[in-house]
Amino acid sequence: MKEKIGTTWRCPHCKTPIKKKDEVCWGCGAKFENVDVAQTSEETLAVKMEEKKAPDISTIPFEFAGKAGEYFKIWIVNISLTVLTLGIYSAWAKVRKKRYFYGNTLLQNAPFEYLADPIKILKGRLIVFGIFVIYTIAMNYIPWTSALFGLLFLALFPWVVVKALTFKTRNSSYRNIRFDFRATYGEAMGVFIGIGAILVGATLGFAYPYFAYRRSKFVMDHSGYGKTPFVFSGQVKSFYFVYLVVAVFVIIGALFVMIFVPQFIFPQMATQPPDEPTIGLAVKMILPFLLGLGLLVYLPVFAYIKTAITNLVWSNTLLGNHRFKSTLQTSRMIWLYLSNAVAIVISLGLLIPWASIRMARYRLDNLKLLAADQLDGFVASEQEKVGAAGEEISDFFDFDVGI
Amino acid sequence: MMEITASFYDGKTSQRKEVRIHFDPAGQLWITGLESDLTYALSEIRISPRVGNTPRSIYLPGDAKCETLDNDTIDAILRLQGRGRWQAFLHKLESRLGYVLLLFVLTGVGLWGLVEYGIPALAKRAAYALPESASRALGQDGLKVLDRVLFSPSDLEEKQRSQLLSLFDDMTQGLAEEQDFRLEFRKSDRAGPNAFALPSGIIVLTDDLVLLAKHQNELIAVLAHEIGHLIHRHTLRTLLQNSAGVLVIASVTGDVTSITALSAALPTMLLEAKYSRAFEMEADQFALKYLRAHNIPPKYFVDILLRLEKKTGYDSARHNYLASHPATSERVKMFKGEE
Repeated sequence: MKEKIGTTWRCPHCKTPIKKKDEVCWGCGAKFENVDVAQTSEETLAVKMEEKKAPDISTIPFEFAGKAGEYFKIWIVNISLTVLTLGIYSAWAKVRKKRYFYGNTLLQNAPFEYLADPIKILKGRLIVFGIFVIYTIAMNYIPWTSALFGLLFLALFPWVVVKALTFKTRNSSYRNIRFDFRATYGEAMGVFIGIGAILVGATLGFAYPYFAYRRSKFVMDHSGYGKTPFVFSGQVKSFYFVYLVVAVFVIIGALFVMIFVPQFIFPQMATQPPDEPTIGLAVKMILPFLLGLGLLVYLPVFAYIKTAITNLVWSNTLLGNHRFKSTLQTSRMIWLYLSNAVAIVISLGLLIPWASIRMARYRLDNLKLLAADQLDGFVASEQEKVGAAGEEISDFFDFDVGI
Repeated sequence: MMEITASFYDGKTSQRKEVRIHFDPAGQLWITGLESDLTYALSEIRISPRVGNTPRSIYLPGDAKCETLDNDTIDAILRLQGRGRWQAFLHKLESRLGYVLLLFVLTGVGLWGLVEYGIPALAKRAAYALPESASRALGQDGLKVLDRVLFSPSDLEEKQRSQLLSLFDDMTQGLAEEQDFRLEFRKSDRAGPNAFALPSGIIVLTDDLVLLAKHQNELIAVLAHEIGHLIHRHTLRTLLQNSAGVLVIASVTGDVTSITALSAALPTMLLEAKYSRAFEMEADQFALKYLRAHNIPPKYFVDILLRLEKKTGYDSARHNYLASHPATSERVKMFKGEE
């Protein structure tokens, strides 16, 4: 049952504005069982609003409205103008791409918005380009500087992480409230160098799940939506569980290869002494087989880690009283990665936009906000602007500090 | 008078209010639906660029903004105001498949021109402009790396070496070049019979190649070919072209590389194969000219080429990463035509 008040449709339970065709209220999750319509006047609304009881936790789905055909055209224009302007347009291309994906991400019918200034991104890219040129020249003419660059990069890394996350969050908004990120260089140093490099190295990788945990916690705990902080409540043991599953899977996979592969490949070698052509043939047969097998192990592992960690992080993140729920499935992710890769290769890259849209849709379709209250109460925070150099460095080296 | 519905956010809290915005062509807008109406001059507000059909933001003075899905009305207002022409042009490009395809073809042609003519021309200029000291450092470093990964000291007899060295000196004497020509001997099982030209005048002959030759003139032909590479700065140009090519392609396909690392390596491989083909022909031409000037029949070059092919078979293509050659038959034809 829906009601029309004045000129807008509203949910009879929480008075949230809705669309006539909606079957579920995005404000409180109430279902409208039939399409009968009750006309209420503005006067009775006031009375009903007073009766409104405190809403329970309601599930608000994220929606993605991007279309592959539409994005394809934007993508081609982005690439073309980037080439024709010798790379200068790439900053604008990045903003338009992000604006397309953000603007099509909806929560309660309200879009997200990407607010970065292309000029700032261009400046960041020029700085990165300059560093790259200096690095290349120095590497070629003064080889001993490579150690210096290594140290410099290590020292710079935490700074890059903090600046990149700050730039990314502060240039993202929802309902005109910007997201936020506040962390010090020292905090990032502790997590990424202290734990990520030193501890993980010293324990021969056994501390890696702990690092993954601390990294997610670092990112979430220092993020906020306006003045409301994100809080990460996940536990270390959940991360260890994920990597334990991976270890078991890899060991079983390796055993399988060792036991069964020789029987597939070498049956004829048992009957006749191997001469050179036979070995050559066997190698030729094994290589693609091993490659396929490697993919068969690598892809599920990669997809599983991505899926499990994403689910784990979002489902254990609080924003004020609100929670999130991520319900990605490993099997679906494997299928998406595999079919996207095949489609991209077959189409010589032309299906990249389609693949991107498809992936974004699946991920957002499986993300929900468990709202404890209306989403009206978030308050903006005071923020100063931040440069794009860190973000561009992290883009350039393609490291994803997301979660 | 134009009207749209929009969501109003004051920028202080996340509260949403449904409003109507009325635009007056005289240059004003007012917002109704709030406790009190708001009025602004159109020149005070900023409107976000249109990207597909994503909601539009109207940034009001202060921190407030409105979001609306009515892209067409917003575009009409901007048109009336004569604002945002560049953004409108971009959207027009992005919304018609015809324009998109045209731009795509144009880009393809531009890119082809850049890789085919632009980069080689630039690399050539840069290679000749590079100070001798820099190219010497490059050549010496290159040799050091090769010594570490590919070469071991030569097993050739001292007599044969000094004979070849004086031969090489005679060959390079008359050349008006600022490069320090230098012949080096190395042994390498992996490289097989092979010769390398490194920047600033270093030529490396492998023992296998020296042993493969049945006549001194064959080695003269090979050395002339390598000197041709040096005179035309081929190694340096290949280096510059490939790095520039990679830079161009990486910037274009930034999107692609994140999905498959293979695509980054592929264009370099293609470029390398193509460039070195042209360079080999050029070096061959130089060798041919040299042989003719010194009354040495070109058949010696043909002989050693054919023997080289027989000896190395297909493997040469895999090992010769400093010099991948065009089809031997093609080159033999050129030299035979000169006889």
